[in-house]
Amino acid sequence: MVEANNWQVGGRLTRAKRALSALVRGRHQNLTVRFWIISMMLVLVGLSTLKLR
Amino acid sequence: MLLALFHWLGQDVRAFNVFSYITLRAVLATLTALVISFMVGPLMIKKLTAYKIGQAVRDDGPQTHLIKAGTPTMGGALILVAIAISTLLWADLQNHYVWVVLVTTLGFGVIGWVDDYRKVVHRNPKGLSARAKLFWQSLIGIGVAGYLAAVASVPAQTELIVPFFKLIAIPLGTASFMVLTYLVIVGSSNAVNLTDGLDGLAIMPTVMVAGALAIFAYVTGHLVFAHYLGIPYIPGAGELAVFCAAMVGAGLGFLWFNAYPAEVFMGDVGALALGAALGIVAVIVRQEIVLFVMGGVFVVETLSVMLQVASFKLTGKRIFRMAPLHHHYELKGWKENQVVVRFWIISMMLVLVGLSTLKLR
Repeated sequence: MVEANNWQVGGRLTRAKRALSALVRGRHQNLTVRFWIISMMLVLVGLSTLKLR
Repeated sequence: MLLALFHWLGQDVRAFNVFSYITLRAVLATLTALVISFMVGPLMIKKLTAYKIGQAVRDDGPQTHLIKAGTPTMGGALILVAIAISTLLWADLQNHYVWVVLVTTLGFGVIGWVDDYRKVVHRNPKGLSARAKLFWQSLIGIGVAGYLAAVASVPAQTELIVPFFKLIAIPLGTASFMVLTYLVIVGSSNAVNLTDGLDGLAIMPTVMVAGALAIFAYVTGHLVFAHYLGIPYIPGAGELAVFCAAMVGAGLGFLWFNAYPAEVFMGDVGALALGAALGIVAVIVRQEIVLFVMGGVFVVETLSVMLQVASFKLTGKRIFRMAPLHHHYELKGWKENQVVVRFWIISMMLVLVGLSTLKLR
């Protein structure tokens, strides 16, 4: 049971590392664009504060 | 639709009057269209994949594109659904310009839909014949041009505004206005369609131009701003900012799934409709020449095809390694992503030049 838990935690970390390294290596290149889209939306929300006050 | 509700509620609770501002409704239209795209997108991609509605890749195209075969297409329907719902929710539905733009966009979407459907479902590689496509595009284009000419109540609505010159506005007769309107709508529709050849290449410039047109629409429909900037005041045009904002949201939501490596392509249903939408908005806000500048990427892509065909027919030689232009750069060794992002950067610069015409006149 303990082993299984350790494996799960390790598994999650490995998965996160893998995702991060994949991002760095550019394998998931659409992630970059998705981050841009989120950024753009946040800028839009920021700009809307000009009017919404 | 919601505007009427908020007007009614505003009689009792004054806070609801904030929704009468076009700027706020434009922001909400963007966010609504984005959320719709995110919610409907995965479902639509799953359905399109299940029905095997996959893109056929041209045999003579770059070899790197062969792996794209089978990627679901007709994702433009997602954009149109998001734009339509968001516009119907947030725009003033008593404004006739909103309906003209919406009907034109969906009309061109239907043409694209039929073309895509024949290609990918009926496995007919030709889809809708070029002649039939042009006929239906022309029918809608001329119909819209006739309507806009008929409802024009002030001279500014049929004048050709020349950017950078405050005092130059060329009056167009009804016939010239209709010809110009037809050319702008049908031309931009086909130009966006030609540009739609790489993941994300067409949608991002469309989003940027739509964003800029939202600003043009807003100031054109605002008496004080229009007077201050020296541009024609067109009553009711401001409401198109909500439509353009919905285009921005829907476009970004689509880009989420269309970014390299694309999970879905927009197909003709999206490309023809979005191009027509840009054209009709530019016509209503009297910024046809500025659209030509801001949509420079679309223009150059179209010119590259025209020049390639003309050169090959006249001299037997090709000017570009392949047309449209994005394939030329791919064959020169640029990665797909590099071509796309570089074209986005160029588009961004052209949109800035277009926006600068607001002040520099």
